[in-house]
Amino acid sequence: MARGLVTEAELPAVRAKTSRWQHGWFVPYLFLAPALFFYVGFLVYPMLSSLWISFFDWDGLSPTKTFVGLDNYLKLFFNDEVARRALWNNVLWTIASLIVPTGLGLSFALALNRNVPGTTAFRAVFYSPAVLPLVAVGLIWSWMYNPQFGAVNVFLKEIGLGAIARGWLSDFNTALPAAFLTSVWANAGLPMVLYLAGLQSINREFYDAAKIDGAGPLQAFRHITLPGLSETHVIVLSLAVIQAFKVFDLIYVMTYGGPGQSTQVLGTWMYFQSFQYYHAGYGAAIAWVIAAIVLVIAVPYIRRMSRS
Amino acid sequence: MRKTLAICSLAIAAAIAAAPAEAVDKTTLRFFTIFDAPAMESWQPVIDAFKAANPDIDVKVETVAGSGAAVYPDVLRTSMASGDPADLFFMWGGEIAGPFIRAGQVRPVDDYYGRYKWKDRFASWIVARLQKDGKAYGVPYHARGMAFWYRKDIFDKYGLSDPKSYADLEAICTKLKGANIYCATFGGKFGWHPMRLLDYFFETKCGPEVHDKIFSLTASFDQQCVVDAYALLKKWVDEKWLVPDFLNVSPDDSRMPMYQGNAAMIIEGGWMEDVLKANDQDLKLYDFFLPPTDHQPQRYPAFPEQWMITAASKHPDQAAKFIDFITAKDTQVKYPAAFSGTATADVKPDCATSPHDCKWAEILSSDRQTYGLSDQAYTKELADIFFEIQDGVIAGKYAPADAAKTMQAKAEAWKAANPR
Repeated sequence: MARGLVTEAELPAVRAKTSRWQHGWFVPYLFLAPALFFYVGFLVYPMLSSLWISFFDWDGLSPTKTFVGLDNYLKLFFNDEVARRALWNNVLWTIASLIVPTGLGLSFALALNRNVPGTTAFRAVFYSPAVLPLVAVGLIWSWMYNPQFGAVNVFLKEIGLGAIARGWLSDFNTALPAAFLTSVWANAGLPMVLYLAGLQSINREFYDAAKIDGAGPLQAFRHITLPGLSETHVIVLSLAVIQAFKVFDLIYVMTYGGPGQSTQVLGTWMYFQSFQYYHAGYGAAIAWVIAAIVLVIAVPYIRRMSRS
Repeated sequence: MRKTLAICSLAIAAAIAAAPAEAVDKTTLRFFTIFDAPAMESWQPVIDAFKAANPDIDVKVETVAGSGAAVYPDVLRTSMASGDPADLFFMWGGEIAGPFIRAGQVRPVDDYYGRYKWKDRFASWIVARLQKDGKAYGVPYHARGMAFWYRKDIFDKYGLSDPKSYADLEAICTKLKGANIYCATFGGKFGWHPMRLLDYFFETKCGPEVHDKIFSLTASFDQQCVVDAYALLKKWVDEKWLVPDFLNVSPDDSRMPMYQGNAAMIIEGGWMEDVLKANDQDLKLYDFFLPPTDHQPQRYPAFPEQWMITAASKHPDQAAKFIDFITAKDTQVKYPAAFSGTATADVKPDCATSPHDCKWAEILSSDRQTYGLSDQAYTKELADIFFEIQDGVIAGKYAPADAAKTMQAKAEAWKAANPR
């Protein structure tokens, strides 16, 4: 065949290619473009911009910045006592989050994974704190912890435990645990919902077979329920770690980082540095350290979800 | 077609001719404040009056209400960093305004002081307090003094009177403790409330000259008078003269024990009269006395609040004109509800409805000397370091001598990291 001419056999392919061009291979990207525009403009660009700022000493107001390289990151880990305390508080908060609200969520899910009257109401009751804004939760619990007229101390005195009533948020030793207890109240509902969904996906026949083989409830839990929830564990524990390192609202509202900076976490310390102390560069570095830690957990989690 | 075109052209021409000329020439002045709803209500007539007198200027109020110095500066900072701040704004005195001035975001107003003769309008200590590096950056709005506010009925019941010395004050606290009443109440959540008590101890133990040097970081914290001041703070906690467990109580909530009659005193400013009214308290049950410092001259804590013009403002002249209007005696006398605690001289509040305001007006316009507050002398970062040590003393984590040493070490580290 002469060059440039098309045979009859080649016609369908040429028509198909022309068709693709006519109908627009680019059309899906046009649909993505608006979301991509907002994503790049309001997420990617600010992220890259803050990464750039983290290499500078800048007050966030002046027109000039001074390049300091990695000094802000080195300061966080080696020269800032409060930052190290904040990091440690985040680690403690994370470890506790992996055990307490997730354990409670699993317990609630196991208890409520049955068709008896009242289960729906209980599920709603346990989940409802999760829909409240954390600022409102923090304010309510701050009042409950008030040493003079808060519900916690009044209740303790009523039941004869007045000796342990104290300024829960004013005491260096109890302020962080008290704030964490509020977090447990607010956050046990989400693991419960996720575990409930996970429990639904476990085949009932496994439990029937185990019963026939003489397995008791604990054995069934250990050998059927826990392994059957492995995917859910990944989701729940990943979210718990991400939430724990992002914690800000409860600490800011309930303790403002006090008493004596003892309850600072990286989120609040980042806020104080950037917006109150006019160290925008250092605050950006703290934000990126939080992001890096969260990404270490989030990336495998997202990969696993995509594979599923 | 030609007929349609002609009609359209005529309509457009008529619309242009009918457009008011002021719409083209009117300046919009953006006015950024901390006014809450009640304050806006009292300020609206003032703004309307200015607009009526200046039809070429529209005033648009933007507020961040109820947050105090915790959040308002953050919002202001964000607007400045975005390049689109308001034309003029409210600001506290001292170092709270410092970062904005150092970043070149505030316009010096010495020229307007000359044009409008503002120096004659305010007490000299107020104007002096708003100077920075020899320049005027703000125009006084409020002059706020602070004192020990107390329950008169409790004092009368136990035969107590205004203390003339620190020893008298301790005697009052001892007697009240015997009657199971807390001497004073504070809310330590943000640090600045118990700071007022510690500042009073600094003034009492160190005296005016050393206290001022400590404020300006030209004297060391690691000296005996500072140790003594921290020791007094610890004493008030250990003797249970203060309502306990207050480190995380908010200052607003800390007033409750006083309202309930369980505590006798609190350190607050002239705004306390408005607070008592808003909380439905009987004003006759409350009075105040200036803190007895055992030094001459006996100074009391006071600070100004101010109006500032942003460097980025395209309408500084109009902003200055508005400031001149709202600081003028005539305006403030006509609209008293908007101007309690005013810094403008010779503006007398209504003593029948605001007796404490009346008393404050006399004190603030007198030649009594004043001292500033730590949270306005220091940047927020250094003030938070000060509060960290303060909290440590209250909680027993630092002995007074260690507190003084640690505060000095941290102040030196801060100075090294923040050269000026």
